[in-house]
Amino acid sequence: MDDSITFLHSSDWQLGMLRRFLGPDGQARWGQARLDAVARIGEVAEQTGAAFVVVTGDVFEHNQVERQTILRACEALKRIPVPVVLLPGNHDALEPGSLWTSSQWQAHAPDHVTVLTDTTPIEILPGVEVVGAPWRSRRPTSDPAAAAYTDLEPAPPGTTRILLVHGQLTSLSGGMSEVPPIDQPALEAAVATKKVQYVGLGDRHSTTKVTDRIWFSGTQEVTTPEETDPGNVLKVTVSQSAIDVEPIRVGAWHMVDHRVELFDEESLKALEDWFAELPDKERTYVRLAGDGSLSLPLLSRLDTMIDVQGEAFASVEKWAKFWTVRPAPDAADLDALQLSGPARAAMEELRQALAGGDESAGAALSLMHRLARDAG
Amino acid sequence: MRLHSLTLRNFRGVKDRTVRLPALGTTVVVGDNEVGKSSLVEAFGLIFDLPDDSKSTRIRDIQPVGQDVAPEVTAELTLGGRELTYTKRWLKNRSTELAVVEADGRRTAWTGREAHNEAERLFHEYVDPVLWQTLMVSQGQSLVLPTPADAEPLITAVTAESGTPVDGASMPLVSAVEHEYLRYWTRGGRATGDYAKSEKAVAAAELQAAQALKAMEEVQQDIRRAERLTLDLADVDGRLGDHLTTVEEVRERKQATDEILLRRDTVRSKAETARARLVNHTRTREERERLFDEVERFTKIDAELAERRTDADTVAKAAAETVQAAEAALAEVIELKDLRRTDVQDAERRVSQLVDQAELERLVGQQTELIDVRARIVTAAAILDKIKVDDGLFAALEDARAAVVEARAALAAGVPEVVVRRLGAEPVELSGKGVEAGTKRMPKELGFDETAELLVSGELVVGVPGQVEVTVRAGGEAATLRSRVDDAVRREKELLKKAGVKDVAAAREQLRKADTASAELQEARRTEKSLTSAGDPGERIAVLTARLGIGAEDEGEQSGSKQAAVEGVPGQMSLFEEFASPLDTLFDDFELPAPPPDDLTGAQRQLDDARTELAGVERLLTEAEFAAAQARKAADEDRSEAQQARARSEIAGERLAAAVEALAAARKVLDDEAVAAAETDATAEVEAVLEELTAVQEQADAAGADQVAGELADALAVATRMQGERDTLRDALRTTEGRLEQSGRDGMATRRDVAELELAAIRSEHESLHRRAEAARRVYETLGRHRAAAQTKYSEPLQTRIEALGRGVYGPSFKIWLDDDLAVAERELDGVRLPIEALSTGAQEQLAIITRLAISHLVSTGDGSVPVIFDDALGWSDKARLRDMGALLGRAGDHGQVIILTCMPDRYEYVPKATFIKLDG
Repeated sequence: MDDSITFLHSSDWQLGMLRRFLGPDGQARWGQARLDAVARIGEVAEQTGAAFVVVTGDVFEHNQVERQTILRACEALKRIPVPVVLLPGNHDALEPGSLWTSSQWQAHAPDHVTVLTDTTPIEILPGVEVVGAPWRSRRPTSDPAAAAYTDLEPAPPGTTRILLVHGQLTSLSGGMSEVPPIDQPALEAAVATKKVQYVGLGDRHSTTKVTDRIWFSGTQEVTTPEETDPGNVLKVTVSQSAIDVEPIRVGAWHMVDHRVELFDEESLKALEDWFAELPDKERTYVRLAGDGSLSLPLLSRLDTMIDVQGEAFASVEKWAKFWTVRPAPDAADLDALQLSGPARAAMEELRQALAGGDESAGAALSLMHRLARDAG
Repeated sequence: MRLHSLTLRNFRGVKDRTVRLPALGTTVVVGDNEVGKSSLVEAFGLIFDLPDDSKSTRIRDIQPVGQDVAPEVTAELTLGGRELTYTKRWLKNRSTELAVVEADGRRTAWTGREAHNEAERLFHEYVDPVLWQTLMVSQGQSLVLPTPADAEPLITAVTAESGTPVDGASMPLVSAVEHEYLRYWTRGGRATGDYAKSEKAVAAAELQAAQALKAMEEVQQDIRRAERLTLDLADVDGRLGDHLTTVEEVRERKQATDEILLRRDTVRSKAETARARLVNHTRTREERERLFDEVERFTKIDAELAERRTDADTVAKAAAETVQAAEAALAEVIELKDLRRTDVQDAERRVSQLVDQAELERLVGQQTELIDVRARIVTAAAILDKIKVDDGLFAALEDARAAVVEARAALAAGVPEVVVRRLGAEPVELSGKGVEAGTKRMPKELGFDETAELLVSGELVVGVPGQVEVTVRAGGEAATLRSRVDDAVRREKELLKKAGVKDVAAAREQLRKADTASAELQEARRTEKSLTSAGDPGERIAVLTARLGIGAEDEGEQSGSKQAAVEGVPGQMSLFEEFASPLDTLFDDFELPAPPPDDLTGAQRQLDDARTELAGVERLLTEAEFAAAQARKAADEDRSEAQQARARSEIAGERLAAAVEALAAARKVLDDEAVAAAETDATAEVEAVLEELTAVQEQADAAGADQVAGELADALAVATRMQGERDTLRDALRTTEGRLEQSGRDGMATRRDVAELELAAIRSEHESLHRRAEAARRVYETLGRHRAAAQTKYSEPLQTRIEALGRGVYGPSFKIWLDDDLAVAERELDGVRLPIEALSTGAQEQLAIITRLAISHLVSTGDGSVPVIFDDALGWSDKARLRDMGALLGRAGDHGQVIILTCMPDRYEYVPKATFIKLDG
């Protein structure tokens, strides 16, 4: 592979993104982690000898992000020692009022960073052309990638051409996308006819191989628990005849969904153990789905556990949509409190209401249980 | 507990007293004030409360004042099945002794502090302090309603009776629940504290998020607007480009056609020149024709005006003659009028003369009468001058007469009246002075049988000579009376002399004559005045005679006859004499057309005729003057017309001459034939040029030359409009982009995200608080409900007991309600439900007593029962209630120990089976 070239492919940095579930402190640290991951891409470039870096869309969360975000992004970009090509995606489309045309960006953007503002191929290195389809609107009316390659002649001999596009593929979007998807067969045809040697895709946060030469790099740092393989940068070594793509992890955070069934002390213990075994707790967000029913003491122990873990982890959340753990007070619980007279009668009434399906009675019962225990 | 006896020594006012109380039943301890009833209760309290070495002021207070003695109390009582005898002495020789006999008969004794401690322990073990305080009613406390909820024996009793366990153990839970509830809610059920704050925080965050969202939506709208504007701009730019191409094409076409148009312009200007020349020649011809016309016309006018001038002169001359004739006629009439006016004047003069004559005659008559009257005035005045009596004098005379008579009468009355009568032969002589004999004179002697009646104011001497002489002298006032008479007589005489009469009667006659003469004089004067009212007739006569002097001839004989009549009037005579000289020659020259009539009527008629004549002539004169004026006016008009005709004729002549001259001049320049030839030539030239123009125009039309310019202008206008459109779009786009740039700088999206994040956090916090608050409320309400139900249930035994007792006093409609503390809260009687505070004092006290008896009854079966003690109660009840309450108190004794302390034993006389204990002072 004499004429091969190595570069890094990343996308969906979405700088300026906020996560509701993280809380102010977690939010700040996660935001920083996303910038750190960008810096780490610079380190990877250095280590791998990559000639340049391409970012296929959604560098920023919005066109109207705060100034701080732009300035910090510029600082992070400066730490990448090779040329960087950025493609406007749907989040930071090259629409009117776009960040890319703003004085803020233009005043601070490092010189080695190029933003693709049209579909003209640029020769980033001798014999290497980069061509991209920048988004010009948040809601394009046609295939957002087509413009970049439709009229493209096959690359001149000895020239490696890299296509940068952003959007969902028909095969992966399941036809649910609000905007027109990218025509995958056309893309593959462009590769087949040697118009381009590599297609860098953006928008999908999980690293995904479409074909040998068509890849989603995925986001540099995880953004939701649903993502399957986020937090990578792709090291791409390409020539006319060969292709080698290697995901290299740059992300430091984890976002985890965990489903538990809680019905006794054992199951509670199992959850506790699961928490204990997770690494990088301070950089981990856990979303718990739960089902089952617990006695009042166990229920309050569960609450305490989640509270405690919430302090250790970046965030631990009950997934409200999938959280159906109910209190199941039994007579023994109540007897243990040694209540008599009206107090006992009141508690019994609440217990029966809960058994009859009155959800709010559960909370009342738990409260009364706690108060009685503390008062006793 | 049962109290058996109490012994007090040196305790306040009590030196040494033991009161024994029956263990069961009602005891009424009677004593006057200050004998120590209350001390019994106090002593019982002190013996358990204070050790013998206590320094409490309560101990000092019970020591009798000024006595250094030791207060001592001994109580015998049953407590928890034991018999206690407990004695304590304070202050001096302090000691405490307790002897306890157990139920099984074992006996134990303690002394000193041990005794106190043991007694205290036993007391606290078997006497519930709340119950004790509730049932021991000290003085003045009988109105206070008991709140016995915390009395353990009572609770035990009601629990036993109601079957509901009283959940004292759950009180900490109850307060914990309440505390939890109050963290989120006010007692009124409104959100409070952090929960309420969080509600507000949510609202604030929602507002903020909505604002941020709205701002961001505006940004997005701006983006869409900018996108649209960009598209529109591209569209306009495209169309503008196309259009500018079109404009260029039109511009080229125009350049091609411009040449044709230039040629057309040249031909057009040639045509203009030819046309102008033709116009010039035509004008020359027309001018020549006009000159012909003028000469012809002026010739005709000149002839006409000359004729008219001749006619006018003729008319003017005729008019002048008419004026002369009219003025001659006028002069004649004026002359005639003067004659007639003279006639009138003559007639007037005659009438006037005759009137004056008649007046003169009347005046002369008047003057004669005046002379007569004046003679009468002289006569009457002479008579009046002679008479000296006037009304004043006459009145004085009458007064004087009356005074004389009066004085005389007074004298007669005031002086002796002496009647002397000669009876005999002897003469009787009378003498004296101041003697009056009435109207007669006093006789010097009296004849026979003659009598003299005399008034003697002075002295009367009656003597018969030789025989007798009697002197009568008036004394006293007589002299005064006499002088008054004399004065009156003297005054009368003076007045008569002044009047020139002899007596009053003569005076009256004179006065009458004077009146007559005076009337005569007045009448004559009035006549004189009326005669001279129009002035002195003499002056008037002088004027008239002067005026008639001209005709004195006619009056000559009259004036002669009148001379006598005016004789005696000074100045008149000479006048008449002067007019008497005849002056008949004066009117000789006048020829009078008719002899002047002598009578006034004739003269008057002659005057009227003359005036009628004059009026006729004056009418004639007016007519003649009018005719003359008319003639003059007509003549003036005719003359002026003649002048005008002359002037016009002259002007016409001049204009004719001018026209002829002008024609001649014009001909000299160009003769008539040349004029016509020039015009024909010019016409031909114009036609030729027009033909050429038509040809060029056809060429221009074929090339569309005239339209091209319009097309180009239109195309340029469209281009301008499109450029304007493009500029507007560009400006709008720039503005929008500027706004977007600003929004980008402001980080609007980040702001929106942050606001939404904050809202979510605050909401989640609020929801969590809400769940907790709702849970707290649920627990609070549920527990409260159950507690209330339990409360109701276990208050039932006490309520039933109170109502049972109360019905004995108030009848079957009596009902009560208890509150949470088991205190009576409300009472119903005869269907009327009232809160306790609204009841009368008496009813409140009765209810308090009933409640205590009920409590006592309830607890009577247990170990914890205590005596019920009333220190002075029922102070507010009437007789009827006292009877009922008495029965109640009596019955209460069936179940326990009831002790009543009172100084009013009659209040309790209805208590059946009561033991009365009397305390003496």
